[in-house]
Amino acid sequence: MRESQIMFMQYLTGLLIVVFGSFHFLLISVLSPAPDKILYIYNSSTTVHALVGGTLFYANVKAVYTSLAWGSVLELLLTFLVFHVFNGFRTILSEQFPGGRAEKFITYSLLIIALIVFIWGSRTVVVALNGGL
Amino acid sequence: MQEIALKGFGETVKTVTFRIRRYDPEKQELPKYMEYKIPVQMGMTVLDGILYIKEHLDHSLSTRYSCRMGICGSCGMIINGKEKLACQTQILELGKDLIKVDPMGNYGIVKDLVPDLSNLFRNHEKVKPYIIREEEEPKSEYLQTPAQREEYAMFTDCILCGMCLSACPTSATDELYLGPQALAQGFRYISDNRDLGFNERLNVLDSKQGVWRCHFSGACSEVCPKGVDPALAIQLLRQVMTTNVFVKFKQKGTANAPERKSVSGVS
Amino acid sequence: MTIENKKGWISWFNPFKYGTDRWMYALHRLTGIALGLYLIAHVWETSNILNGPVTWNKIMVDLDYPFGAHYGPYILSLILLVAVYHAMNGIRLTIVENGLMLPKPYRPEFPYKAKSLRGLNNLLKIVLGIFMIVISIVGVYYIFTGAVL
Repeated sequence: MRESQIMFMQYLTGLLIVVFGSFHFLLISVLSPAPDKILYIYNSSTTVHALVGGTLFYANVKAVYTSLAWGSVLELLLTFLVFHVFNGFRTILSEQFPGGRAEKFITYSLLIIALIVFIWGSRTVVVALNGGL
Repeated sequence: MQEIALKGFGETVKTVTFRIRRYDPEKQELPKYMEYKIPVQMGMTVLDGILYIKEHLDHSLSTRYSCRMGICGSCGMIINGKEKLACQTQILELGKDLIKVDPMGNYGIVKDLVPDLSNLFRNHEKVKPYIIREEEEPKSEYLQTPAQREEYAMFTDCILCGMCLSACPTSATDELYLGPQALAQGFRYISDNRDLGFNERLNVLDSKQGVWRCHFSGACSEVCPKGVDPALAIQLLRQVMTTNVFVKFKQKGTANAPERKSVSGVS
Repeated sequence: MTIENKKGWISWFNPFKYGTDRWMYALHRLTGIALGLYLIAHVWETSNILNGPVTWNKIMVDLDYPFGAHYGPYILSLILLVAVYHAMNGIRLTIVENGLMLPKPYRPEFPYKAKSLRGLNNLLKIVLGIFMIVISIVGVYYIFTGAVL
């Protein structure tokens, strides 16, 4: 791939991440299926941490992951993020270690890490969508 | 009037300390700082200060300079942490009692304040800084309107002082990166309507160490002593590249030189 | 014998004396690295949803109480700020690095202030900066109180 095509993808995924990422932020706030649209319910008098009605409580997060629409949003966001992040890392590392051999090593090792992160994240989304382990 | 302007001229205004990084290739030593006290007169530049040191205090100090008026681009150095032409920097305008002078960064040091600019020239050569045409010998001159010249005229002002590479954060680690100077010159020839070499330069400009390693930190334009604005050239060059990603770029230039015709009034 | 005089990677994060664009570059790179590492941690963290409610809720509480105190909201606010900065500056860079909202080639005049770092580019910085502040205030307020402004 030519460098200009890679960087075009970098810009494109960046803009898509802004769109999908804001969905992701709304997902744990106003768009959450939780009864109380709040991250934590923190009782300062008893210092007891209650999550039951919060958007990060297990059942409420599970509800997000089992919905096909949100699942696909998260999966797409993960795809764009992994490309954007690891291409950014490749840029930074290849600026620090320039030269053909170092660059090849950086590219392939980051590709492997990127695939691991992508598969690990996709596993969460896909398995949760199918009802969990 | 003239007497007022010249009042105080030639008198020592104050004493300034120069802290200069010295490196002698013949001694097996690392670079170290040495301090010199200099009486400053009105209108004295940093280069004048360095020459004063060379004349009166330490003859072994090396620097590179030629024109003393900001045209040759030989005396670029880091003055108080920022790249400046020593001949254009007034000591009194800096307003400091301690002036720290370093050789330009991201180059090798030959001696003291003399950088090894071969990297700059090598990169400059890579982008083919000359007009490329298909025909071997031009049949006549290539025509250009003033408006067409304006499209690249500002980038021809480059004096190859190399301060942009010294300020550039990417060049700070990546010695293979073409650098702002070479990329700006690449854009200067691509946007010239007489030039047909876009595809020849594409391999260099669009490579891994080419135009995309710029992240628009603007340091090159900030330090440029001639206002060439290399950052602008790089971004405009990228615009050419992005429009070229999926659609093949159309060469702007005229395909053939116009036939010479005898026109009255034009020789 | 010439010796190397590279400034090294430390100069990526040394934005002094080179203007606002250099500051934004340094912060963009710093926040980019931070967010990239956070993504890896976040992917691991959310994968615990498959391990059942007990594990998940325990991790949520543990992450809310790192180092034995209720630092969770502060950390979340920091992540939000970092992400919003990277997003806003990323939008600016996408526009500007593709040659849009920049001046046409011009005739430099003394004292040679570069126009590409000023003008519409500055306007973009201000507009997106205001966006960033607004989004951050709403987000941080939500994180701490659970109410939407």
